[in-house]
Amino acid sequence: MMDHAALRAILPQRSPMLLLDRVVEVVPGERLTAVKAVTGAEPCYRHLPPDAAADDLAYPTALLVESLGQAAAILWFLGRPDERSGRLPLLAGLRDVALTGAAYPGDLVRHEVRLDQILDGVAFAVGEIWVGERRICTVGSLLAVVRPPSSLAVREPEPKERDDDRHHQPVRATA
Amino acid sequence: MTDTISRYEQLREIVAEVLELEPEEVTDTGGFIEDYEADSLRAIEILARIEKKYKIEIPQSQLPRMRNLKAVYEVVAQYANWD
Repeated sequence: MMDHAALRAILPQRSPMLLLDRVVEVVPGERLTAVKAVTGAEPCYRHLPPDAAADDLAYPTALLVESLGQAAAILWFLGRPDERSGRLPLLAGLRDVALTGAAYPGDLVRHEVRLDQILDGVAFAVGEIWVGERRICTVGSLLAVVRPPSSLAVREPEPKERDDDRHHQPVRATA
Repeated sequence: MTDTISRYEQLREIVAEVLELEPEEVTDTGGFIEDYEADSLRAIEILARIEKKYKIEIPQSQLPRMRNLKAVYEVVAQYANWD
């Protein structure tokens, strides 16, 4: 089992985008079970109108699959710690996704992830998302990549702020 | 010869699935990027599926070569030792 501190040591994400609470079971490089508790205090519910209906409180699908992706990233890096080496994991693609339910505040979301294939810097996984005995989502293929932080940096208007290879330019002297 | 044709068609199916096209839409020389709007991740997906199906390893350095179906076949034939 891995507690939240152990997750933070592996994943670069932080609140409010660290969307996993605990790993309950893991076979490194093979499969992993992780959980995330959904609460009414999540930032995604902050701007709901006072008269929001029950359906409006379904946990957003984008966050649900990102959470699954973070579980896949843990599994990937536990098997091959060298893969990260300062780079950031990104959820890059999802195929064959079936949504069969939703999670609501108070639910404990459980991710069942299996690592399918690893190439240099790319991982493929399959996953299921459960709430208790209800399977709420299946993902036939989840594609994750690692990228250097510089490739994700917010582009600043000043050329000297850019560190992307494509933008290497001599700094012009100004009069 | 029959092997060559069926393997070629298998590869066409893999490429079509990843690029979300019908197999008949994938021509031998249609450029994945230029003609089918693929990006580098789609190319990696094609590579990964081929590696899994044929249980071979193709270095990612070969990706730039795998620009169309014909080129994919040539790369796979080389690494899978197809005659």
